[in-house]
Amino acid sequence: MNWLSRRWQAALMLAPALLVYTVYVVYPVGYSIFYSFTDYNGVTEAKYVGTANYRHMADDSLFWSSMRNTMVVLGVAVVLLVPLAFLLAVLLSSRIRGAGVLRALIFAPAIVAPILVGLIWVFILDPHIGLANAFLASLGFTGPEWIGGTSLTPVSVALVYTWQTVGFIMTIFYAGIRMMPRDVLEASQLDGATRWQQLRYVTVPMLQESFAICTVLAITGVFKIFELVYVLTGGGPIHLSEVLVSYMYYVTFQLQNYGYGLALAVVVCVLGAVVSLAYLGFRRRSARA
Amino acid sequence: MTRAQRAHRGPRWSRPAAGLVAVALAATGLAACGSEGGTSGGSKTITLSMQTANVQKSDPATYQIVKAFEKKNPGIKVNLTGQPVDQHEQQMTIAAQSHTLPDVFWVYNSLAQTMAKNGNLLDLTPVLAQNQLKAKFPPSMLAGYRRGALQYGVPYQALVTGLYYNKKILAKYGLALPKTFDDLLQVAKVLHSHGVVTISQGANQSSFSVWAFLTMLDRFGWEQKQAGLLDGSISYDNPDFLRLYEHVAELAKAGAFPENMTTQNYQQAVDAFTGGKAAMLDSGVWAAGAIQASPVGNDVGFWAGPTFADGVGKQELVMNAPSAPLVVSAAVGKNKTKLDAVTKFLQFYYSDAGQQLLVDNAQTPVTTYQPTGPAVQKPVFASVLAALHAPGWTSPSAQPDLVVSAAASTAIYESMYGVMEGVLSPKQALQNVAPTIKPAG
Repeated sequence: MNWLSRRWQAALMLAPALLVYTVYVVYPVGYSIFYSFTDYNGVTEAKYVGTANYRHMADDSLFWSSMRNTMVVLGVAVVLLVPLAFLLAVLLSSRIRGAGVLRALIFAPAIVAPILVGLIWVFILDPHIGLANAFLASLGFTGPEWIGGTSLTPVSVALVYTWQTVGFIMTIFYAGIRMMPRDVLEASQLDGATRWQQLRYVTVPMLQESFAICTVLAITGVFKIFELVYVLTGGGPIHLSEVLVSYMYYVTFQLQNYGYGLALAVVVCVLGAVVSLAYLGFRRRSARA
Repeated sequence: MTRAQRAHRGPRWSRPAAGLVAVALAATGLAACGSEGGTSGGSKTITLSMQTANVQKSDPATYQIVKAFEKKNPGIKVNLTGQPVDQHEQQMTIAAQSHTLPDVFWVYNSLAQTMAKNGNLLDLTPVLAQNQLKAKFPPSMLAGYRRGALQYGVPYQALVTGLYYNKKILAKYGLALPKTFDDLLQVAKVLHSHGVVTISQGANQSSFSVWAFLTMLDRFGWEQKQAGLLDGSISYDNPDFLRLYEHVAELAKAGAFPENMTTQNYQQAVDAFTGGKAAMLDSGVWAAGAIQASPVGNDVGFWAGPTFADGVGKQELVMNAPSAPLVVSAAVGKNKTKLDAVTKFLQFYYSDAGQQLLVDNAQTPVTTYQPTGPAVQKPVFASVLAALHAPGWTSPSAQPDLVVSAAASTAIYESMYGVMEGVLSPKQALQNVAPTIKPAG
């Protein structure tokens, strides 16, 4: 047997992946950082403007409303998504009739294009022609402005994001539960642990890594939400329902302000990384304590 | 492994690397050949890129002009492509950076001005000089696409905008076609009391769909103020424009606009009108064909919009200005064969035959050509022509959003929708726009 363990052999085998990574990740990130310090408009020569684009964010009310909306989506999505996905995984890993079909149904939204998800939910959430308010009206209630108003849109986006992603996150938990050694659960059962106690003291602690992965996926997913907002409201009214990525798109491609748009992209990227790392750091400290 | 051994092995693994480089270079070469295009098998090919995904369906006038041109010039093939407007603008921006612009393409004027400034566009003065083509245009149709001595664009189509109205709906509620703003406000109140939308609008991903209101800006003195607005001596936040925005707020308060205006897009607004669910539609001549073909087609007329007792200057204004330009890549000028083909194409586009094809597809000519044929007899298009040629009514030289930067035009659209949606007060709307108005390009 020939072992390809020499350094140059390893380098050669890594080269294609590194090349692709450099071209599609390192270069665009470097490009974005470089142009975020310029007044680039996409066509004419870029002029260095120092940190002007970053300083401009402090005075940009739309940036702050996009930030607030993103944080609302993040809060609602993380609080709802991870526990809900876990509970569904627990439920569907027990012996219930039709669990396979239910798993497929819950996972289905994850394979639907986000644009289509947005279109589906427009017909549900539209305050005037949507099913949600029609249903509420039939019960004698006046429904709120789920989308298109000035306050509830980020919550609605978070709910739609949760609906779209819960199946995928559930699958990770489900795989984790299925891989748990059965003897541990049997031992706890013999010791007289109730179902709840098993869940609280066996299942949850043994799935700590799955919880970490799922939470990071949920966080990074929120910082990538674009299509949902684009389809549900187009960022309106007057950009008050933009999230950071949709606002970045608007600034970059509609206003043709590439310099500022790329500065926003850098901030979104850094923010996503910081929130994820902060969460992982918090988890590590909690685990040690 | 010793240093000497590594040195010995070096050339062996560098061979595959060299091979990879060679393959990459070959691929690049092939790609370069592909993008060069131009002539093949004795025929010439020019590329034309438009702002709609399905040109044949969404822009039949351009499609038919291309087909007629190819028929008349069998040695020239036009490679016609298109994509939705946002993607198109992005792609043209990227193509300008990488010097891979199509030969001829549609682009918003603000981006065209930036490209012209950057030397990406061909000066069309010599093309317009041939066969006295320039003389066919009303001067206002070309003036907006000039940068100093550089004629960087020609009008793609005429921008005739206003309000389509459904005669049947107005008649049903005993209403006459309004003439003044006060009439319109009264109509809105009556229709709202019957649960009918007065003006169908859609802001979702289409905040630009405020054409009738842009003409109203002209009725409050935009054209007289334009130079001052652009040089900063006049603010957009001025008492005249404030009166207009207050009127828009009055319409909103009277329930003139659809409640789902924020979540519906322009196409859905059109569908609401053609489905008989709204009395008026804010749109332009490009929609005439679709409206004619719809169930309400025989009941629709075209109105240039209301006059204002408190407006500024001439009120009898109907927008008939050049829309976005067709421009030509500067690279075309370096290839004589291609330049000849592009020149022939533009000469055909603006010939009487080309303009008649526009008319046949419910577009008004951009030249001085007087249209004929059955198309002008179709009621919807005929009503557009009637509004255009109404005695005493004239056009502003340009639509306000097309003389300012992309940021300013977007701010204007959104300020209007902001007031219609009740999210902005008239004053706030003006204050949002004021800092964005700067000369485009």
